[in-house]
Amino acid sequence: MERFLLKNIDNPESHRLAFYEAEGGYGSLKKALSLKPEEIIGEVKNSGLRGRGGAGFPTGMKWDFASRDPKFPKYLICNADEGEPGTFKDRPILEKNPHLLIEGMIISAYALKAEKGYIYLRGEYPYAKVVLEEAIKEAYEKGYLGDNILGSGFKFDLSVHQGAGAYICGEETALIESIEGKRGQPRIKPPFPVNVGAWGMPTVVNNVETLANIPLIIKIGSEEYKKIGNPECPGPKLYCVSGCVESPGVYELPMGTTLREIIYEHCGGIRGGGELKAVIPGGISTPVLTPDKLDTMMDFVSLPKVGSMLGSGAVMVFDQSVCLVRVCWRAMKFFEHESCGKCTPCREGVSWMRTVLERIESGFGRKGDIELLQDVASNIAGKTFCPLGDGAAGVVLSFIRNFPEEFDYHIEHKKCMVEA
Amino acid sequence: MIKLTIDGKEIELEEQVTVLEAARRAGIKIPTLCYFEGLKPFGGCRLCLVEVEKLPRLQTACTLMAADGMVVKTETEKIKAARRAILEFLLINHPLDCPVCDKAGECELQDLVARYGPDAGRFTEGKRHHPESFDDPIIVRNMERCVLCTRCIRMCEDLQGAYAITVTGRGSHSFVEPFSGGRYNCEYCGNCLTVCPVGAIMSRLHRHSYRPWFVEKEVETVCGYCGVGCSMVMQMREGKIIRTIPRMGLGLNNGLLCVRGRFGYDYLQSEQRLRSPLIRRDGELHEVSWSEALDYVASRLKEIKEKHGPQAIGAIGSGRCTNEDNYMLQRLMRFTIGTNNIDSSARLYYAPALLMLEGILGQGITANLIPGIKNADGVVVLGGDPTQINPILGLQIRAASRDGAKVITLGRAKGLERFAHIMLPGAPSNVDVVLGMIIQELREGVELKGENKWLQEQLSKVKVTEPIEGIPLDETIGALREMKNAVLVLGPEVLQSDNSDRTLLLVAALVYLLDARVFLLSERPNYQGAMDMGVLPDMLPGGRPLEMFKQKAEEALGREVPADRGLNLFEMIDAASEGRLKALYVMGENPVFNMPDKDRITEALKKLEFLVVQDIFLTETALMADVVLPARAWSERTGTYTNLERRIQFIRSGTDSADGMEDWRILEEISARLGEEKRFAILDEVWEEVVHVSPLHSGLGYDDIKDGKAIWPYKGEPLRGVEETYEIQGLDNIRPIKSGQVLQLDRPLYHSGSISRHSKALRSIEDEAFIVISTKKAEGLGLADGDIVKLITDRGSLQARIKIDSTVDEDNIYISNTFTEANFGSLSGYEAGRLGSLSLDKNPVKLEKV
Repeated sequence: MERFLLKNIDNPESHRLAFYEAEGGYGSLKKALSLKPEEIIGEVKNSGLRGRGGAGFPTGMKWDFASRDPKFPKYLICNADEGEPGTFKDRPILEKNPHLLIEGMIISAYALKAEKGYIYLRGEYPYAKVVLEEAIKEAYEKGYLGDNILGSGFKFDLSVHQGAGAYICGEETALIESIEGKRGQPRIKPPFPVNVGAWGMPTVVNNVETLANIPLIIKIGSEEYKKIGNPECPGPKLYCVSGCVESPGVYELPMGTTLREIIYEHCGGIRGGGELKAVIPGGISTPVLTPDKLDTMMDFVSLPKVGSMLGSGAVMVFDQSVCLVRVCWRAMKFFEHESCGKCTPCREGVSWMRTVLERIESGFGRKGDIELLQDVASNIAGKTFCPLGDGAAGVVLSFIRNFPEEFDYHIEHKKCMVEA
Repeated sequence: MIKLTIDGKEIELEEQVTVLEAARRAGIKIPTLCYFEGLKPFGGCRLCLVEVEKLPRLQTACTLMAADGMVVKTETEKIKAARRAILEFLLINHPLDCPVCDKAGECELQDLVARYGPDAGRFTEGKRHHPESFDDPIIVRNMERCVLCTRCIRMCEDLQGAYAITVTGRGSHSFVEPFSGGRYNCEYCGNCLTVCPVGAIMSRLHRHSYRPWFVEKEVETVCGYCGVGCSMVMQMREGKIIRTIPRMGLGLNNGLLCVRGRFGYDYLQSEQRLRSPLIRRDGELHEVSWSEALDYVASRLKEIKEKHGPQAIGAIGSGRCTNEDNYMLQRLMRFTIGTNNIDSSARLYYAPALLMLEGILGQGITANLIPGIKNADGVVVLGGDPTQINPILGLQIRAASRDGAKVITLGRAKGLERFAHIMLPGAPSNVDVVLGMIIQELREGVELKGENKWLQEQLSKVKVTEPIEGIPLDETIGALREMKNAVLVLGPEVLQSDNSDRTLLLVAALVYLLDARVFLLSERPNYQGAMDMGVLPDMLPGGRPLEMFKQKAEEALGREVPADRGLNLFEMIDAASEGRLKALYVMGENPVFNMPDKDRITEALKKLEFLVVQDIFLTETALMADVVLPARAWSERTGTYTNLERRIQFIRSGTDSADGMEDWRILEEISARLGEEKRFAILDEVWEEVVHVSPLHSGLGYDDIKDGKAIWPYKGEPLRGVEETYEIQGLDNIRPIKSGQVLQLDRPLYHSGSISRHSKALRSIEDEAFIVISTKKAEGLGLADGDIVKLITDRGSLQARIKIDSTVDEDNIYISNTFTEANFGSLSGYEAGRLGSLSLDKNPVKLEKV
């Protein structure tokens, strides 16, 4: 497949405006400015594009809600707080193809009639900040940003807001709180950001990859776009694969490529010819799968059918050498550290799950601990303020459900099955 | 109309509310922890989870809006299990130290666990630890107990507007801390204590001293610190106040208190309280019996009256004493002694300002409801910081600002810095220039209603001949013109200059042009009541001018009322120093300390033949007295106060006093010894006479007052229309007065006159007088907050630390009048200004870096 999102990223000049323009960049913007904002929203709706941040919400619908709100000013925020463990798909866009994102944002802002945009950038991406700011400067100089863009009368200002390292700020309402200068904690929904977002105004928060898809939709039209990948949720998708494969990395493939194809064809199979034990398909918050689910298509509709989710498309591959109790414990350490503290079940329950996993992993597991873990996880699931706690509970429940023998072994033998 | 079903009950709602509120209205109680009425919903604790048909997840009732057709269940097995789980989670880190926790017995978590919780927890690892913080003198923080409901933070931000505390850290290591670190740097309202559901934020004042169930008595009363008149509940044990707390739904403050009301009650139990009547013999005060003291007072008064006539006797009433006390004092003076020589410290600004405002705009013009301020769409503030002088009124201005009202301040208003849209300069003596500039613009293009011809005439005369530069006049006028429902808050600072009459006329004009509700800040709980009771040299009870109503009063009482206008406070001091006034009766006032020019007051009082002081402490004035009579303090007697909005409220006794006597009863005893028939055995009989004499209070019984129905206009009728005219100088030539650097009276939040210096709690918050100066002045002198400077006037000097306030005028240097070591009174002089209030213009002052 021809790459679009990661086009030319191997070229050391790919992040420069001159190079991007020479490759046809900002052509979609020119085309978009000749369309009415409603027409662009119509195209995006028709394209079937779903948000690439994890929830998979239809982008066109989100835009429609925001554009129907009569309040002004409106804000467009790019969620570049790529914090989901295992996820590094947005990074190449941010660092190698920043103008694609900026072009996507200008088109989106034009469609939404937003005059101010922010890129909320993960605190741990300092290099991306340098690249983005340089690219934004270039875009201002060429008249793609600022007042009267390309003589259209449309005005759009864009700046980078660097996060301070909290995972929760990837949740859109916590992100907005953070941009406003407040403690990063999710807000009560409804009202949704499309109506009451940054500073109380209609705000669209889209993922980097989502926004990078916009120029493509405009360029080839929604009908052509729908032909890429699974027609139920089409488009190109970035899969970032890590763990026990020969060639880990970011792969741009049609949405709906099977796990098997990703691991065995694109990533060169299991590292050292080993045997696959487990795979997490969409970042640490998505339930783990067993090898028998390898033929599942990696998209928003197929993965839920086998009890998991596409999430951010971060595929984490574990072979037989990996202790899954340890993975589960390590994941829980992450969730405990990143729980914002707002709601009781996540704040207290996740930390409790970590302590129980810790004692199992370190050989002090007790009889009944598995049932306790399942009970605690069930008490968290569905009762938290935002999906963070649900994600943590889902990890524990899916690891125990899929690999009970590893937990049993740990408790019974006070050591790891893998070492044995 | 929204119709929904909760637990099988069909509920109809007129407006959109949350499911929690809808359930509450239907009598269904859903357990909550982070929810607190009046605070924004948070949705964090997850205890109020309910099942809603067609929604897959459990929903928090506190955040979910009720919708038509909704079917909600609040007590299913699934929900009970969820609540049990949430409580089990909360107890993972919450210490089970109930036996040593002061909150036990009124702890919401304890109650919830008892009702829904698991018998035992399954968490076996160690709990998180966090040291209890004793960094603050008043508030102890035990963050191990914190359940992160954030009620304290929302209270601090959304209602108090102090923004002093926040959550630090993340996850289960989140703790509530003040931004200032260990010790709070805040307004010390203590409203965070009210809302904390557990023992995480507690008062140190009664730490480990009782259990909630040891409270023997609760008494609803009204705060005795300022003229707002907040309702509060005194909790008593063994005859002592354990604490004073506000209560949701009670009084105009509805659950809020300020630092003075919440923590300032310990002066009542001070060791320095007067225990016995004292009589001066051979230059020393000696303890004597009540009967000896009362006989002595009566005989001396009688002697002086016989020798020098009734006009040689005067009395000073009190804004801290009740209506009944003040009524009895004027009764003693007018009817028993036969003089109108009676006044109070309301003379310093409140009384002349109110009388002139009423004279121009009509009686009762300041009778507006404090809670109504928050509904205003515009607020103009001048004359000092309302969040310090009358804190709970100040909060209403903050609330209005939050709801979109435009707030414009003139002069000092630090507490509104975050809430004001336009902050105009306004030095106390030059605020008339700013007002004049505003009026000149505002009157253009306005069709005046012609209701007040005299005021309109004056309005048209206003001319500023030398405007102050740098004032955003267009923006201000634009904001003022948009106000449809305006409020004007007037404080004392601009009423204590020589030209305050002109300032006040301009204020009245602004009120007229804006059709604003006006509020006159009152530093004492009962300035208004003292005036209403006739503690004025020229007014009889009920706000009736002496010359017009002498006859009516005589008819009502069957007693003769002295015809001549009496001496006011300033005139009594002058008369005393000139030897014309021979005896002075002081009730609940400390003029030697509370008035400027200590030397002048002291010299004057020294010349008196006889000085009686009725007080709860041996004040500077009492120390000079011939007889000192121990009165009962605020919590030790009943009576009524009339607050600045003219709400008459009942104060109730909670504690007892073996030593003191109620002020009114002392006066009754003295009257009797002067030949009056004994009339008043109980307080109610005093009030009966008030109601009989004052047409304003006609038909108003204690039952009405206790029911909270005594809101202006009372059952009686206001009697005077708008008739008065005033001679105001220089309306057509308003320009700044260059008086140089002058000393001004600071009115700090943490103190109140000289009474709060007996409160250890308030002193632990602030135990010194600060010299408050502007940012510019500080920069000019190279000073930082806390630096010590020397303040010099022609009367002497003192050293104190500075506090920088960005809203004060550069030429005005402030110091409070609370502390004996450093105070305003000993370094300043006064004159009677044209308004009839105190004029403090001529107090040149210098600052020297130490």
